Amino acid sequence: MSTARLKRKLGDLGIDTSSRKANENFCLIGTPLPPLEKSKDTGEFVPLWKQEVRDEKGRRRLHGAFTGGFSAGYFNTVGSKEGWTPSTFISSRSDRATNKNRPSRPEDFMDEEDLTGMRDDQKLVDEHEQMELLGGTQDEMSKRGEGADDKDAITLALERSLLPAPKDSVGARILKKMGWRIGQGIGPRITWRQREMAFGRDPDVPSDDVDEEAKKHVYAPRDTPLIIVERKGNFHGLGYDPGLGLHASLGVAPEASKQSSDPRLAGGFGLGALNDADDDDLDVYDHSQTHGRNRHAYDANDVHDEERVLMSSRSQGARDSGKVAQPQRPSTGQVTFRDGRQPLNGFVISEKPVAEDLRFPIPDVPKDWTPNPKLVWEREKANSKDKENAAIPPPSQTQSHAQWKTGISANQRGAVLGETPLPSAPRSIFEYISKKDQERIKNIAASRFGPPSTSDDPLPGPSLPTPPTITHTEPHIAQAALHGFQPFTTDPSKQARYTAYLHAHADPGSGAIPPAQKSGQSPEEFAKEISDYAKSAALFRPVSGAMAGRFTSAAVLDLGSKIIEGLHTPAAQPEEGADSMDVTEEKPKEEVKEEVPKVHAARLGMYGVLTREVCTWQPARLLCKRFGVKDPDLEVPVDTSGPSAQAAAPEFKGTEPADEFAGASAGAAQVEGGSSGSSKRDVANIGMGEDDGQGDGVLTYERPGMDIFKAIFASDDEESDEEKDRMDDVDEMDEPPAVSAPAVPSKPGPDVKPPPANGIVEDVDLATFKPTFIPRGSKPKDAEKKEKKNKKQKSSKGGALVSFEVDEDGGESLSLTAARQKPRDRDSERPRKKKRKDREGNGGEDMWVEKPPPDIVKALPVINLSPDEGGQVSGQESGPPRARKRAIDFM
Amino acid sequence: MAPSRGPQALARTLHKTLSNHRGPVHVVRYAKGTAKYVLSGGQDRTIRLWNPDLGTEIKKFEAHGYEVLSISVSHDNTKFASSGGDRSVFVWDVTAGVTTRRLAGHMGKVNVVELNADATVLASGSYDSTVRLWDLRAPARAPIQILEEARDAVQTLHVDATTIIAGSVDGHVRTYDLRKGELRSDFVGQPVTSAVPSSDGTTLLVSTLDSHVRLFDTTSGKLLNAFTGHNHTSYRCRACFGHAEATVVCGDEDGAVWAWDLVDATVLQPNPPPKVHDKVITWTEHHPIDPGEMVTCSADGTVKVWRHSS
Repeated sequence: MSTARLKRKLGDLGIDTSSRKANENFCLIGTPLPPLEKSKDTGEFVPLWKQEVRDEKGRRRLHGAFTGGFSAGYFNTVGSKEGWTPSTFISSRSDRATNKNRPSRPEDFMDEEDLTGMRDDQKLVDEHEQMELLGGTQDEMSKRGEGADDKDAITLALERSLLPAPKDSVGARILKKMGWRIGQGIGPRITWRQREMAFGRDPDVPSDDVDEEAKKHVYAPRDTPLIIVERKGNFHGLGYDPGLGLHASLGVAPEASKQSSDPRLAGGFGLGALNDADDDDLDVYDHSQTHGRNRHAYDANDVHDEERVLMSSRSQGARDSGKVAQPQRPSTGQVTFRDGRQPLNGFVISEKPVAEDLRFPIPDVPKDWTPNPKLVWEREKANSKDKENAAIPPPSQTQSHAQWKTGISANQRGAVLGETPLPSAPRSIFEYISKKDQERIKNIAASRFGPPSTSDDPLPGPSLPTPPTITHTEPHIAQAALHGFQPFTTDPSKQARYTAYLHAHADPGSGAIPPAQKSGQSPEEFAKEISDYAKSAALFRPVSGAMAGRFTSAAVLDLGSKIIEGLHTPAAQPEEGADSMDVTEEKPKEEVKEEVPKVHAARLGMYGVLTREVCTWQPARLLCKRFGVKDPDLEVPVDTSGPSAQAAAPEFKGTEPADEFAGASAGAAQVEGGSSGSSKRDVANIGMGEDDGQGDGVLTYERPGMDIFKAIFASDDEESDEEKDRMDDVDEMDEPPAVSAPAVPSKPGPDVKPPPANGIVEDVDLATFKPTFIPRGSKPKDAEKKEKKNKKQKSSKGGALVSFEVDEDGGESLSLTAARQKPRDRDSERPRKKKRKDREGNGGEDMWVEKPPPDIVKALPVINLSPDEGGQVSGQESGPPRARKRAIDFM
Repeated sequence: MAPSRGPQALARTLHKTLSNHRGPVHVVRYAKGTAKYVLSGGQDRTIRLWNPDLGTEIKKFEAHGYEVLSISVSHDNTKFASSGGDRSVFVWDVTAGVTTRRLAGHMGKVNVVELNADATVLASGSYDSTVRLWDLRAPARAPIQILEEARDAVQTLHVDATTIIAGSVDGHVRTYDLRKGELRSDFVGQPVTSAVPSSDGTTLLVSTLDSHVRLFDTTSGKLLNAFTGHNHTSYRCRACFGHAEATVVCGDEDGAVWAWDLVDATVLQPNPPPKVHDKVITWTEHHPIDPGEMVTCSADGTVKVWRHSS
């Protein structure tokens, strides 16, 4: 409103209201006027009832639909202005089915978005629908296939034509519209003769059942049988038969004699008349040759396969032969199990017994034979030596599967043939180093990492059977795991193998042999075992670093001497012993290395400087007090830069203000530290949790200066002055009637009140003066008095330094006044006060109604005061003002 | 009877056996002043006040819920402090026989408690490896200061005019010097079970669990003497100075009281000393004034007062 008026006014003045200048805002405090032109600010607040919903094209939506009313959806969508008015039925001969009164379609109620959505939905072919090509879905085809064995083509076709099409595809629908029916072939119609030929019948052969009428018609072409490819739903390889026995699947043919004499030849390319059937020509995918080898009591494949053959050829002859070729099953009734029971109906007892495992008799042990494992070990050793010597294991030796699989590497073969190895790319940096240096490094390494290994045998890698997936453990991990938790203590043999594994990996050069594959252990098992070891080595190595010190290993449960299962091999023993010796040799060395000097000194009894550590310690101040010891005023040792900077500050005072500043701050910090009395007061952690001295400064109670007390309580003097004055007055008034003494003191009881707190301080040094809050009397009279006085002070120029009232109805007032002019003020004030008092008294604005004094008192003042009235007033002129009026004043 | 040379012989004649305690006695302390009385505390959760001269029990103080491990008597014998398994320090009024104050705050059992010279500050060392200093003058409940330098249980404390000496199982003897505002940690290397300074404060007698009693120079931390021969490996035993600090006395785990010459560290006769207690001697204390009296307590449940045979 006001903006519009302002705008008009400015327009009258000839100022362009839309210019930037006119809209400039100079408002610093308060709410600026709204801009002159309507802002385009979309974030502007609009009350709820003014808000509008618009779509992305800026059209208004929700036309009052949510506010109620009939206009819902009128503008953008549908209906009339009145809303959903029902249209009346109109019948007109002239105006038929025009656009006007045609039945409403859903499209009529749609807007653009809906229409585009609908158009998107209308597609020629719905890709979601299951495509059916002539025969329907796969399921149906298979269903049809099952029933095909006992139905001929005609019934099938009949059935097809009779049965409703499960769901027509678009193509089928088009074909149907073109006149095609299910069960017919596609193509131009053919004559009866053509049809007969197509069915493989001789049209010229007369038959009884063919009537003449049939020859006059044209027929639809013969339906082309659909080649149905069986879906492969499994993961078997091509040609694999799941029902095959062990021998059959391995391809071993123990019963070759049973095989039919003529091999089934692979289809496709035929054999020449002169060619014999070769191995290559045999149909490898032919299952029939395996039938005979099946040893199942009941072979499901048997019937199935024959039927499959039957089905695949749909020609008449094949069908007929298939019917003939139904297997002649022996009647199940006659054959029984050995115990007389009959097999289940439909099952046949196999004539051949189920193949048993081959068993060999155990060789006879000579009577005078005594076990001598040493012989075996020696032989093994010799073997291993042989292995080392010979690159290739002799073929006569039993080979594991893995060995057999890997075969001989090219290098090995080359070595056997005596070839010079091909120059390959150097694999290690050591190969670039000269021989001499290599030796030197080796020596250094050997001397550092333990005793040099005397046996310089090569890695047992090539000779030993390498498991297919050998897991490797880093030497340091293995070394650590040796000292760590032993996971297989329950299984001593496994534990022994585990430690052997660790030893082998901890020091690969030491010649410790990793556990070899056990006899009777498959390579997979061995690989798994090794990987288990690697895992547990990674898992159970002791915690390293700082964490290690926090744990102590629990006491090891001593289960007596460890029993090692299996054959005792003395060859392994010394090696392990040597290894453990190495470990024990190394261990104390490490400990010695870790030993702190002071521990070492203490052990040697060299107490003194080495074992003593001196650091600062700040005793609590109270502790010092209790002990009667002076608080050791510790220097701030943390702030090392502080004192130096401070010392340097005077030198660079002129040139480097930054240094000066640093010095100053350091000094300040030091002062702070000193005052708080804590040596560790770090500036960085002040206010943080670690700050021990937190809150010290806040909570420490310091006795304020005497001036404060003076400032606060100095009014007491005045009060006492006043009181004294008043008492004087009272004395003046009351002394003569000594009789009333007991009664009167009870009267001025209410007079004894908190000091009137007019903030006037006498004899206060300006330099030390501090403003104080003084509670004021809550009586309006006092407030008035105060106000008046303040006014007075304000008027008297230069009197008060600062004086302001916080609130007028007697809360608190802060008054800062100087002592200098106070007497004058008071002097000038007093008469006024007195006058006011009198006025008030006359006006009867007294605060309390005083009990009328006892008669005797009443009587006495009349006697005493009446002559004194004038004098009293004059006396009060010069004397200090009275705090409040008394009953006497009103009389 | 004074021997012509060498230190005075140890009082080895059994004067009285105070055997009212049931179970091991952990601590026995002389009263201050003329030390006419003895306070003992034991596993039976009681503190008993004895007249060692007559061998009679004067009073029994019962408030502890667990064993009593340490007692400290104030300078005026009006009150004493005790501590033990119940993780708080009790301050007792001797005549009333009730606790005047219970200082709770330790996280573990309180192994040792010590009052300062005028019983205004109480120091308590605990299994929780802290030493807490409590103000007995103000009613404040919180300790004045907590000394957390020890890495293991604090086993022994000594408080004198300006220093607090704490011996810990971590093998350190820590001397907190209030005047200098410094902490001197001396590494002994073995768990410290007792640390007793000489009266002039220049030497410190430390007994450790490696069967050694060592005498250290407090100013430099150097070893002055080592006293060996006894058996002290697993219990808290206390070594103390003999009369006039001419000898070192320590009861060992076999129940024998050993005495050494302070200067030349030789074992005083009889060597080896006879077994006088059935079990480990947990506390040995020499009479502060009387040259011929000593008191020992043992895990066999007895407190024995020793005097010269004369």
